[in-house]
Amino acid sequence: MKNWQWIVLGILFLTTIVLEFTVLADYDSHWWNAIPAFYAIWGFLSCLAIIYVAKFISKNIVKRDPDYYDR
Amino acid sequence: MIAEIITIPGIILILGAFILPLLPEKLRSTVFLIFPIAALAVIFGRPDGYEVSGSLAGLELVLMQVDSLSRLFGIIFAATALIAGIYAWHIKELGQQLAALVYAGGAIGVTYAGDFFTLLVFWELMAVSSTWLVWARRTAESDAAGMRYLIFHVLGGGILLAGILWHLASTGSIAITMFSDLESTAAILMLIGVAINAAVIPLHAWLPDAYPKATITGAVFMSAFTTKSAVYVLIRVFPGWELLTWFGVAMAIYGVLYAVICKDMREILAYHIVSQVGFMVAGIGVGTEMALNGSAAHAYSHILYKSLMFMGAGAVLYATGTTKLVELGGLKKKMRWTMLLYMVGAFSISGLPLFNGFISKAMTVDAAGYAGNETVMLLLILAGVGTFLSVGLKLPYFTWFDKEDTDIEVQPLPVNMYIAMGMAAFLCIFYGLFPNTLYIYLPFETDYQPFTVYHFVEITQIALLTFAGFWLYRKKLAGERILALDVDWFYRVPAPFFRRVFVNAIDDLFDWTEKTVHNFAIRISGQFNNPMEWLNPFSKKEHQARTYSPPMDVIMVFVLFVTLIFGLFLIL
Repeated sequence: MKNWQWIVLGILFLTTIVLEFTVLADYDSHWWNAIPAFYAIWGFLSCLAIIYVAKFISKNIVKRDPDYYDR
Repeated sequence: MIAEIITIPGIILILGAFILPLLPEKLRSTVFLIFPIAALAVIFGRPDGYEVSGSLAGLELVLMQVDSLSRLFGIIFAATALIAGIYAWHIKELGQQLAALVYAGGAIGVTYAGDFFTLLVFWELMAVSSTWLVWARRTAESDAAGMRYLIFHVLGGGILLAGILWHLASTGSIAITMFSDLESTAAILMLIGVAINAAVIPLHAWLPDAYPKATITGAVFMSAFTTKSAVYVLIRVFPGWELLTWFGVAMAIYGVLYAVICKDMREILAYHIVSQVGFMVAGIGVGTEMALNGSAAHAYSHILYKSLMFMGAGAVLYATGTTKLVELGGLKKKMRWTMLLYMVGAFSISGLPLFNGFISKAMTVDAAGYAGNETVMLLLILAGVGTFLSVGLKLPYFTWFDKEDTDIEVQPLPVNMYIAMGMAAFLCIFYGLFPNTLYIYLPFETDYQPFTVYHFVEITQIALLTFAGFWLYRKKLAGERILALDVDWFYRVPAPFFRRVFVNAIDDLFDWTEKTVHNFAIRISGQFNNPMEWLNPFSKKEHQARTYSPPMDVIMVFVLFVTLIFGLFLIL
């Protein structure tokens, strides 16, 4: 990833934050709409949770050699 | 009557399978495409309420029944058969072409069936024909996987049939109806039969087992038909069954976890079907008009982008001979077009704005929220994060990027593959830009508006932070050579034991019996082949048959005569 690409993504993120506090300021159809940048937080936590849970399951339960069933 | 029957869209494709072998090999791939086009034309020509019925053995059969739901699925099945047919245009193998036609015909037949028996017939046709698409790969691995696939689906078809018969016995009707939540044991049996085809966990193991082992083109057909025709039946017969919501959510998350664990392109995509069908099943469980619309729309979108992604993975397999991420990487220069087309599918499936996943996924997820099920909504969003992570980032990153270049030899792809991928990608973007072209075909009227600031903020924040998470932890997701156990462990490990007890032991018993009887017969015939040895046991001379012929004849005739007399005497 080049620097300018990160900058574009950063600007995009800032745009969403600005939109959230201006256009969507009084939006509250779900309880989590009161939390600023909730979807960013939820997205990031979900991502980490999925990576770690998948790694955990893989390492401890389901990971075998590719010829497991042929032996 | 005959004309009406042979213009049933499903039957058109199945008839195609009878016509195709009569044609010269050169023409077959092209003629193949005529049948899905004809089916599409008929589908657009039949108005709501159109019916073709007949009777068989005292049962009223409704071979075709049109409404907006069946039309929606009919359109996408026929369109996919066309696109996948173009993708497979270079394949000259008759068996695969016929199997694909019957398979697509079966799927379309299911969507138009007006009674359960018709549905079951098409259902079983799908199971048998799709098995051939696995076997046609002709490896030891695909032979075994195909057999497991077939057994699983025959079992599912049997359970479905049991439910149908039970339903017939208790209500006297086989017309397709809607069951209310947990209505009867018959309905539950039918649900289990359908759930097997929909790959509802824990009945899903056939899918990630068979799809990655199917032929390159076969997997494209398979990704579209079996699970989505089951979703259609769920929408039609089981809407609003609450347990489906939770099974759907579990599928959505389970599928993405395995898509993160697995390291083979087609395996990742196969597990990801489980996840995506989970969204649809959850929507069916929620059961509101909006949720059912969402599920139907999502099935429609899903078929397009998932077949596009399977075509992309198939292209990589065709070009490099492998789909294992550990052997790939750095293909971005050598397979740029495949990458770009795949990424259209990946962005669609991840629900990014302006792609077709966005217009249907948001609808399903929102429907759960509007129905007051906010936990379901949050969990589906979590599964959506896993989607972007596994098939939108991990798979393409370790296939086309990660390294600057690669020394893998890349075979050029046939042009028809690019055309098919291009068509699917075009449709993904087209529906993403003009959602109303899809919404007008949905089963319920809707004024849903996907392009809102709220959705833009939501999906952009989720996607950006998922990307950040992926970038930080991408090393953890790198390719490796693994096999991930799944619930198929429960039947694959004991299988050799059961084979020994129920197949080999019985075979051995038959062998032993046959051999014993045979040996006994040989000994008896050896003893009796010359009766003179018994009639004249005291002479030492060799008994040659021809020297005894005349006297022997007399004796035999006498014996026959006496037997006859006794016989007549007994009868009279």
